Parts: sequence; structure tokens; C-alpha cells
Amino acid sequence: MSVDILIVEDEPSILDSLDFILSRAGWNISAVTDGDAAIIAVGELNPKVLVLDVMLPKKSGFEVLKHLRAQQSTKDLPVLMLTAKGQQQDRRIAEELGANGFVTKPYSNSEVVEAVRQLMEQAAA
Amino acid sequence: MRSPIGLKIRNLRKTLHFSQSGFAKMVGISPSYLNLIEANKRDVGGTLLQRIAALLNVELEVLTGDREQRLINDLEEVFADPMLESLSLGPEDARNLVATNPDAGAALFRIYRGFLDARAEARAMSNRLRSDPLFSELLHQMLSQITAVRSAAEILVDVPDLEGGQRKRFHASLSRDSRTLSDVAQTLIGEFERETVEHHSVSPMREVDDLIIDERNHFASLEELGISLRNEVLAFGGYAEASLDLALKHKFGVTVERAGQVQAQTDELPGQYRYNKEQKLMWFQGNCTMSTRQFQLSRLYAELSGLELLMQLTDDKRLTSANSRRLAYRALGSYLAGAISLPYADFLRDAIESKYDIDFLSQKYTASFEQVAHRLVTLRAPGHEGIPFGFLRSDPAGRLTKQFPLPGLQLPNAGHACPLWAIYGAFRRPNDVVRQVVTYPDGSRYLFFAKSTSKRAAAYSQAPFYTSVMLACDILYADKTVYGEGLQLENAALDVPVGPTCHMCIRRDCEHRQEEVLASVDSMHSVRTPLVSTKFDVGDADKNA
Repeated sequence: MSVDILIVEDEPSILDSLDFILSRAGWNISAVTDGDAAIIAVGELNPKVLVLDVMLPKKSGFEVLKHLRAQQSTKDLPVLMLTAKGQQQDRRIAEELGANGFVTKPYSNSEVVEAVRQLMEQAAA
Repeated sequence: MRSPIGLKIRNLRKTLHFSQSGFAKMVGISPSYLNLIEANKRDVGGTLLQRIAALLNVELEVLTGDREQRLINDLEEVFADPMLESLSLGPEDARNLVATNPDAGAALFRIYRGFLDARAEARAMSNRLRSDPLFSELLHQMLSQITAVRSAAEILVDVPDLEGGQRKRFHASLSRDSRTLSDVAQTLIGEFERETVEHHSVSPMREVDDLIIDERNHFASLEELGISLRNEVLAFGGYAEASLDLALKHKFGVTVERAGQVQAQTDELPGQYRYNKEQKLMWFQGNCTMSTRQFQLSRLYAELSGLELLMQLTDDKRLTSANSRRLAYRALGSYLAGAISLPYADFLRDAIESKYDIDFLSQKYTASFEQVAHRLVTLRAPGHEGIPFGFLRSDPAGRLTKQFPLPGLQLPNAGHACPLWAIYGAFRRPNDVVRQVVTYPDGSRYLFFAKSTSKRAAAYSQAPFYTSVMLACDILYADKTVYGEGLQLENAALDVPVGPTCHMCIRRDCEHRQEEVLASVDSMHSVRTPLVSTKFDVGDADKNA
């Protein structure tokens, strides 16, 4: 089984909207709501792009990213991080850990769609 | 430092419309001599000053003005602030202002202090916002809710072909999330309001210090009560722990327990001793020294017995917040404990006879170095005075954590003092008394002596925490102390040249300087200069040119 996008987000309303807009943009979506589940789901679903929130239960988005980058199979997986406005430090950490793109909350839906599209194109190229 | 006594005489004389020559005649001195006095070029004291005060119809204190001296020092610190640098105000302006309009000077200093408080509060607040887990959690929640609301709203607006079920779902989520958002916002606002109330006065300790200094560190009513309470204890034997135990049991039904190391309950403050009001139990950890136990038992006896008087003394308009009243209550409770355990008359006599030998007095009264030093400062009963001492305590970071100033001796209001002071030297020689004769930039000379000690550890894992306590007295009294013995008190050339603290000190040639002088008296830079050229700004002196 394979999906286009795996979303990792613990806030149900945000997840709901992300699911809606990304599905509507034509991708098939799967979602989990904590860091541990994210690592398992990446292995099982083999997504083309990972949309990853920073603040997550169990394992933070950073820990998940670090783990993925250390695995041969996922070290090049395109990851879009959802960071929070004003948290410049978060963005720096994510960059160092090897995130491929960022969207800052609160975002506009089109920003997310556009960022995912770019990562999809890079992945395809 | 000479107080502006001459200017005050001149102003008062003018208010009373006396001419200089007429007033000189009334006083019985020549007009030219009065002129020199008024110009602050001659010292005036003794009977002459008393006569002048009587003729001007003011208290002698108004003219000598120890309190004003402190205000002058405070204003010098204000004027030294970089914010006022361009105004070129210096020590002379501080003296003139205090002499001509002390209330305006006091107002200026109060406002400056308010400004320092406000700045400290702003910094604390900004640190809080950056690092406080509650705020970052609330911020995170807000951002999440806003993200959800925005995203759902965009879907509702931008997607024309939304199915009925979907539309309903996003409407519901929008309504739910915006409600949550307002709750979070309320909580956040509540936090800020709470903070504002709590931080109303950032320096209640300073208010307490001011009150104590205003009263010249002497409270006759507490001394009086102290004597009668001491007699109550003495009815049970000599003044020692055993009698205090009995007196506490007899009068208040309090039991005292001395135990080994006990883990503090989570809701209790850490410490070597504590009092449980409900159980009427005073508890001491095994590593408490005898002097600590005796003093704390005295303090408990003082607080339980002196409740009424202490409440009365802390109901004072100079204490503007509950927090400062609480701190004053504690300080005055300790004062009363000192009055009980180190009774004024006996203690003064022993102090004079032993030449203020603090270690001797510690042994004799089973009190710590700090307790004795503190008590020496309070020997200011009119007509029965000891040597006037200033008192300072420092933590190992150099921060002054407690101070009772000596009129004339310039001290920094906060932070750290001159690194050359004995109070810091004492950290390098724990448990030794370190003494030094110092000269201030204005030529005034003092004897400093200090000792650093640590609490007794209760376990190997407890790192010793040293504090240093220093007393300062005018060089004139140094020969009356054991600490002046063997020093060349006459020879100022051997003194350590010190200042209050770098930014208030004008010694340009001091190689130990760590900070620039802030005062406009000196615009040259002497700290961290490059080796070659120091010309960076128009008017900057090129020292090496």
C-alpha cells in the first residue's frame, strides 16, 4: 500500500482541513496524530511527501525527522514541516535536521498546497 | 564626603531675610568666616553649629543631614545613568539639588527607582514570554486554533462546490475552534493581569531598607520589649537553648525537635529549620549550628510574643505593599530576636571592651559572625552609641544581598561593588577575617573587615555555599576596633584605592576597572580599548596619538 501524502498533526480541526484541501488538490492522503505512529506509518505506507507538525505527542516532529534522516530508506523522503510563527529557533533546528520545506502557522491553505506541490515535483524529478 | 551644610545655612538664612553680615554678628563670627562656611569651604560643627541651628530655628539634624547625604549618593547614581549622560550632571549638581530642594531630589530619585523597577519588570516579562512553559503552551494553543479557524474559513469561502455535509462539518469546526480560541485568549489575558498585580512593586526589599535606614537602624520600642522578653527566658536558667525550649513550651506550648537529615515535603521550603504553626513544632536539621538554633528559637519567641508591636510597626505608610510589610515584619522580628539574645547595654559594653572583636562576641553570645555584625550596626541609641558601622553581605557571584549604609560611605544601590573590597577578598580566605584600610576617590578613608562562611553541610552531596559579611567604619574609629590594630592608620599612602563600584568610580588610573564610568565627568574610555587607536567618534580622545 502506498499513499501520496502522510499528514502528522494532533489538532483534529487542522487535520480535517489539511485532509480536505490536499485531497481536493488530487492526492491521496493518510494521517496519524503522534510521533511514534508517524514513524510506523512512514514504514508501512511509504508516502511520497510527509507533512509533519513540530509539536506532537509521544515524539516531537524533530525527533521523528531525525529518526527518518538516520534511516537509509527514508533519508531522502521529502518532509514539509509545520512550524509556528515567532519560533525562529524551531525553523533553524528543522533546517539542520534536514527538512525540505516549511509552512508557518497560521498559514493560508494555498500556501500548504503550493509547498506540497513543489516537494512532489522535486520528488518526481 | 562633606554634606552641603553651608548651602543649607545660606538658604535658611535667606528665607529668614537675614543679611550675611547681620547673621554673622548674631552668631558671633566674622562675615568672612560665615561666607567660607556657606561656601562649604570650612567645616562647621560643635557648639557653633548648634548656635547656628538655634538661630535659624531648625533641628541640628536638618543641617548635618545624614539622610541628605544618602540622597546625594542616590542622586549621583541617577546622574551616572547613561540615559542622562548628555546632560553632564555630576556630584556637584547632586549636592546643590539636595541643598536647595531636597524634596525635588527625593522625587527625582523615587521616579528613577520606579523607572528601574519598570525596566526590570519589562525584562522579566520578556524573559518570561520567551521561556515560560505556560506562555509557550498558550501561544501554541492560540496558533493552532487560529490555523484551524483560518483554514476552515478559507475552505468555506473558496470552495463553491462544497457538499452539504462537508459544509456543515466545517461550520461546526469553525464555531468550536473560535470558542476555544476565545477561552485561550481569556486565559492569556488573565495571566498578564495576574502578573501585573504581583509585580506591582519590584523592590519591596528596598522599601524595608529605607524604613530601617530612616529609623537609623534602631527601634527603641523593640529594644524595650526585647529586655522584658529576655527576662522571661532567664527565669528558666541562663540565656541558652535549654531555657528557650522551656520558655517556648511554658508560654506557647511549643515543642522543639532536633533531627538528622529529613527530606523536605514538596510543599515546604528547603532549609535547616522550620516552624509548623498547627503542630506548634519547631524543627531543626542536625547540621544547624548552635548559634543558628539559639537565634531561630529567639526569633520564634520574638515573633510569638511581639506580634502586636510588630504589626504596629509594619503598619507604616512607607511600606506600600503587602509584600514589603511582610518583609519588614520578618526583618523587625529578627531585630527583636537580636534585642533578646544580644541585650543592648551588655552587648554594647562587651563590644567596646573587646574593641568590637566579632569572633569574641560570637563566642560570648553564641551568635554567628553575621548576627553579631548585624547587631553592631543597631547600636545607635541616642546617648548610648557604639561606633557607626555600615553592613554589607555578598553572595559568591558578588551581588550585594543585604546592606545597611554608613552615612557618607558611597555604596552602589544594587548589584556588585568595587572588586577590590575586602568583602570579595574574604571569599579567597574562608573563615579568616580579612581587613583593609581604603581610600575613596574623594579622599575619605574607611576601615573594612570581612569574613566569609558557609553553612554546615548536612551531606557530602550538599555543595558549600559561602556568603561574605563586611563591616565598614570611618577611619576615625578604626583605632577603637581590634581590626585597626597593627595597621598604619595614619599613612594613607598604604591604603587600597577603592570606589563604590566601577560605573560610579572616577579613578581613571585603576587597572582593575571592569566597566566604564557612566558619569559625564569622564567621556574617555579606558576599558577594553584596542592597542593602537581608540578614535571612533568625533570628539573621542585618541589616547595613543
